[in-house]
Parts: sequence; structure tokens; C-alpha cells
Amino acid sequence: MAEYAAKKLVQMLVTVLGVVTLVFFTLRLIPGDAASAMAGDTLSGEALEVLREQMGLDEPLIAQYFGFLRDLATINLGETITTRIPILELLVRALPITLTIALSTIALSVILSIPLGTLAAYMAHKGRTWLDNWLTGSAMVIDLMPPFWTALVLLLVFSLGLGWFPASGQLDWGNPRGVALRLALPVIVLSLAQVATLARITRTAVLEVLNEDYVRTARSLGWSELRVLFRHALKNAALPIATVVGLSFGNLLGGTVIVEFIFTIPGVGNLLVAGINSRDYQLVQTLIVLYALLFVVINFTTDLIYKTLDPRVQF
Amino acid sequence: MADITLSPIPARQRRFQSLFTAVIGHRFLGHRKVQLALIILVPILLLTILAPVLPIQKPLETNLRAMMQFPSIEHVFGTDKMGRDIFSRTLAGVEVSLMVGLSVAAIALLFGMVLGTLAGFYGGWVDRIIMTVVDIFLAFPSLLLAIGLVSVMGTGIVPVILAISLADVPRFIRLQRSQVLSLRSRAFIDAARTIDASQYWLMSRHIVPNTLAPMLVAASITAANAILVEASLSFLGLGIMPPQPSLGNIVRDGQTYLEQAWWISTLPGAVILLIAIGLHFLSDGVRELLDPRSR
Repeated sequence: MAEYAAKKLVQMLVTVLGVVTLVFFTLRLIPGDAASAMAGDTLSGEALEVLREQMGLDEPLIAQYFGFLRDLATINLGETITTRIPILELLVRALPITLTIALSTIALSVILSIPLGTLAAYMAHKGRTWLDNWLTGSAMVIDLMPPFWTALVLLLVFSLGLGWFPASGQLDWGNPRGVALRLALPVIVLSLAQVATLARITRTAVLEVLNEDYVRTARSLGWSELRVLFRHALKNAALPIATVVGLSFGNLLGGTVIVEFIFTIPGVGNLLVAGINSRDYQLVQTLIVLYALLFVVINFTTDLIYKTLDPRVQF
Repeated sequence: MADITLSPIPARQRRFQSLFTAVIGHRFLGHRKVQLALIILVPILLLTILAPVLPIQKPLETNLRAMMQFPSIEHVFGTDKMGRDIFSRTLAGVEVSLMVGLSVAAIALLFGMVLGTLAGFYGGWVDRIIMTVVDIFLAFPSLLLAIGLVSVMGTGIVPVILAISLADVPRFIRLQRSQVLSLRSRAFIDAARTIDASQYWLMSRHIVPNTLAPMLVAASITAANAILVEASLSFLGLGIMPPQPSLGNIVRDGQTYLEQAWWISTLPGAVILLIAIGLHFLSDGVRELLDPRSR
């Protein structure tokens, strides 16, 4: 296990280095350079030179590259170009919000989809497929709904129409109820798509296990149906479910950008959109690396969980 | 009866039938999911093609006497804050969506085929280089990769197509490579090698044709996905910019007026969903038709 984890860790570090390298060189492909793209027509030649110097663009490419690596490794993220706020400070404020949304979404969708998928599988196993059909059909439609559209429709109905959730306002961590109400709709929007996928996977996984010999053996021992389901079926179905949760995390991160934008939540996604609009490449490159890092770390963790849940898996 | 003919169908008609089967295929049109897909997609496609000659306002034409009007017979989807007809803007947006979907699918298919075949067939350092780059690209969540790429390449339809394609190509390379790897060691490839077939011949005649079915299915899923990503980018103000309508930026426009004029955002968004459902059925149908095991 430790050896496997170490091997995966090395692989992960190589990927991270590749990600950083790709981001660095892609940004150097901007026609002209990042400084002139950022300044547009607003700066004269001399001011542009100053900006270039600040961004370190006057140094040789290799020096810039290693400087970038060093800064990232020592978490010296610099300041935003336009507003001169330290990027680390922005992240300390924004990251907890985005992570709260993402993790609540995973929690909510797991809580909803596992019972739903198990029930569908169980009923299908017993020959009653209506829940199964209904679930498969609605899961397909929900899965295909553009998240920004779902968000607007829910906003229209539950915030503007029924007034259940505030559509805007400050996020104050001292007021948990307020935070929960404010983040509820974004989390529901993102969970919808997750539940659709997860319930389907759970259903397939549980249905497969229900047909195994050991489930029949457990039944023949006179165990109750619930005990059979939880002790045998669900435990063995956990593997594909955990994998899909990990894999869908990437989509979830993309989704947070959209819901944060719609519900004006000051998370990392809103920082990214603002950074692109103000052509703040210092900020954008940091955020893109951060997202990739989050994704890679989650995949790494999923791999390890996979390995822990299923001792048969050998690599 | 002495004059029973073995083929009651005249030769010309027979030729037509085989042509019909080859080109369209009664099995294709007879498949239930394909039929569902066509019922959804054909009307949308027809309306989009016919949009210029339909008796509706032009997509960019404003009418200050008909601002934010509720959907009516004259304006099927209502009008926006400048009195522009949402229905005609939606059709113009669908045109952009379809263009993006088809272009991305074609680019991803082409580059995925070529690079994936090379990586899988030659192995060694070719494989290692290609797959290292692929793995790095796959380390980004795909919508975020597209967002990052448009931030560098700029807005507009061509950068958007390129950004989404770049984000999708790695998945195709990986799929193609894994298929080629499993084909490479099959007996019919060895047989072709023994009669001294060239590598080009092996790839073009024996390997690539056998990888087509899953790649085409992946392409149709990618088309649907690309339409969603383009709409998301345009919605965030990073994709196709106004005044050119795209489904995403029409929804964005209407977001401000959600309370007073809900139709501006919700109806074009529903059209995206319809297209996505249509393409989903289409790809599902194609998959079932091409994969003999799932029939």
C-alpha cells in the first residue's frame, strides 16, 4: 500500500509539474505579451516597460520559468496587477467558499443518490421496474440540463418567486444560517446533475451484486432483506460509486464557476471570471494551476480509496 | 404457374433499395431512439435553416415599440429589452451551436484518430511523448481548461471552437490508442504482416476501420457536450460576444431581467436542453446499432 501510494505520489508530482509548465508556456503564446495584452491601449511605451519589469517579462524565458516554479513552490503568489491585492489573501477568502460548495454538493448527492439508486436496483431485482424507468429517464434529462439554465430557473422559482432563499447579499461566516440559505440553491443546482449520475451508477452496481451467489447465500441464511442490502450489496457496490464521485469532481469544479457567477458568490470561480475580464494573467495562471492541483489531488485520493476499498486491485 | 420469377422486384428498384439501405439505412431510421432523436432535431434544424425566409424579425433588428413583450404569435419567445425577437435570436444561436458542435466533433475525431493511432501502433517514445501531453491535459477539468484557453486565445467563434477542441482531443487520443493497442496483437494483423503489408496499409485498411464505431459514438457525445460548453462560456461572457447571438449569451442577456421578463433566459435555455436530449438519443441509437452486443 505504502509503495503504491509513493508511486502514485511521484506520478502526481510529474503531472503537476507538467500542468505548471503547460500553463506557463501557454500564457507566453499570447500575441505580443501578457503585459501589452493586459494594458490594451491604456499605457504608453514607458509605462508598458515598467509593467513588463513588474511582471518579470524582461527576463530570459528560462529564468522566468524557474522563477514561476519557485514562486509557486514557496506559495509566493504575487499581487493582482490591477488592484494590487495579494493573490494569497484573495484565495484565503475565496477558496473556503468554493470548497464548501463543492464538498456540500458531494455530501448531499451521496446522501440522496445511494438510497435512491439502491431502492431502484432492489425494486428492479424484484421485478418492479417503474421506479427504475422513472429514475433512468429523469436522470438522463437532468444530466443534460445546462447548469446555468437550471440555476436560473431555480433562482426564478425559489428566490424571486417564492422568496425562500436570498438571491444576493454578503456571505458572513459568523452567521451560519445565512451562509446555508445563501449557498443552498447553488449546492442544489450542482447536486441535481451529480445525483442523476450517481443514482444510475449505484443502481447498476447494486443490481449486479444482488445477482451474486453470496447474496443468495446470505438470504438462505435467513438474514433480513435490509441486512443483506447493507452488509453485502451496498458494501460491494461502494467501489464504483467512490470512483465516480472522484471522477465527477472535475465537472463539479467547472460547475462551481457557473453557479458562483449566477448567484454572485465571491468564490474562486468568480475570481477567475473577473481575472479573465480584466486580463489579469498573474491571477488567471495561479487560479488555473490551483484548479488543476485540486483535481489531481482528488484523483490521487480516489485512487487510494479505491485501493483501500478493494484489496483485490493490484497495480 | 410456370413463370415464377425469382426476383419480383425490378432491377432498377432493387438498385435503389440497396442505395437507400447503404446511404440512410432502414435499420437506422427504424431504430426507436434514432426516431426520437430525429423528431426533436429535424424541426430545430429545419427552422434554423429556414430562419432567413421565415416571417419573423431579424435577429439583430430592434423594435423600441415592442420591448420585453410576453411571448405571442408575433413573437413566439417574446422580446428583450431592445425589442429584439428572442425566437429569431434563438435560431441564430442554434446555428452557432451546431457549427461549434460539428466543428469540435470533427477536429477532435481527426486529431484523436491520427495521434491515437500513431501512439498505439508505434508505441515506444512516440507513445510516451503523446501520452505525457495527453495526461497533462487531462489533469484539467474540461470546462476549466476551455476557460483557460479562451482567456489566452480571446473571444469569438473560432477561438471558442479551438479551445473546446483542444480540451476534448486528449480524450479521443486516449480512446483511439486503447483500441489500437488491443487490435495490434490480433491474428488478422499478424496475417497481414506475413504477406508483407506496409505499415500505412495496416493502419489505414485494418486498424482504423475497426476503431471507427466507438470513435463516432464518442464524437456525437462530444458534439452535444461542446454545445453545452460553448453556451457556458458565452454565458460567462468569455465565449461568443454580443451582438452576435449565441444561446449562452442570450441567456446571459436575460439574466438581468429574470424577474420582469423570465422568457428571455428560460426559453433559449430550454432549446439547449432539447438539442442535448436529441443528440443524446442519436448517440445512444448509433451506439446500439454499431455495437452488435447491445442490440
